[in-house]
Amino acid sequence: MVTDTLSTTFAALADPTRRAILARLALGETTVSELAKPFKMSGPAVSKHLKVLERAGLIARGREAQWRPCRLEASPLRDVASWVEHYRRFWEHSFDRLDDYLARLQAKERRRARKK
Amino acid sequence: MASTATEAEFVITRVFDAPRELVWKAWTEPERLAQWWGPKGCTIRVAKLEMRPGGIFHYAMQFQPGHDMWGRFVYREIVAPERLVFVNSFSDADGGITRAPFSQLKQMWPLEVLNEVTLSEQKGKTTLTLRGRPINATEEERKMFASMHESMRQGFGGTFDKLVDCLAKAG
Repeated sequence: MVTDTLSTTFAALADPTRRAILARLALGETTVSELAKPFKMSGPAVSKHLKVLERAGLIARGREAQWRPCRLEASPLRDVASWVEHYRRFWEHSFDRLDDYLARLQAKERRRARKK
Repeated sequence: MASTATEAEFVITRVFDAPRELVWKAWTEPERLAQWWGPKGCTIRVAKLEMRPGGIFHYAMQFQPGHDMWGRFVYREIVAPERLVFVNSFSDADGGITRAPFSQLKQMWPLEVLNEVTLSEQKGKTTLTLRGRPINATEEERKMFASMHESMRQGFGGTFDKLVDCLAKAG
């Protein structure tokens, strides 16, 4: 179900540690112990975060028993980032047009004022 | 909740080389609003514009002939010539709220966005500030929106910007 997937993604991303883990994974795939290092966290604590990210479809993990590299699954995250980007762009484009419109309007007024 | 309002805000500021009265008119008169609202290349047909609290601006945005994308503002506060508060959403031809009509962003576009526009004038130039945030969103949507803005502002050490870049490149 669409809403459930969406909620899971949002919930997974709402946590700063999990976002930092994703940012690390954006640089390339790595192991759980590598991921744990910067956070002063136990392996199990990191694993818990990874499970949440995996359920949300934000990361995928290798199958090899010992070395289970984590990697980023880009598409859900890209969707989230793109709304903010789209919204900003929408307004910026509108404001460019407003700028032009106001300039045209004032030019017209000045021409009219000169004729008087 | 005061904290929600500050956490979740989305802010754009722009200076226009025009007096405030004129900018206000551009926002509040239908034929003027239709001249600039929306991205370049689209035409706006105003179905309804009621400039009063509770009133609706209902428009069809057209990027290609025969394809209307409906949207609406519902005004909450109108204080000429300095403050305009409205809720923006996609809509159907009858003015009812709908989800974003494009499949790519459908799931990620908030159903309703509350926008506050303030105008101030200095020496004939107008500074416009637009603050936006989703309303009636799920708790997860709100948290996410807040964290996106926090990360845009602080980049949590710049990593998030890089992440978004990587993702954009990953295509």
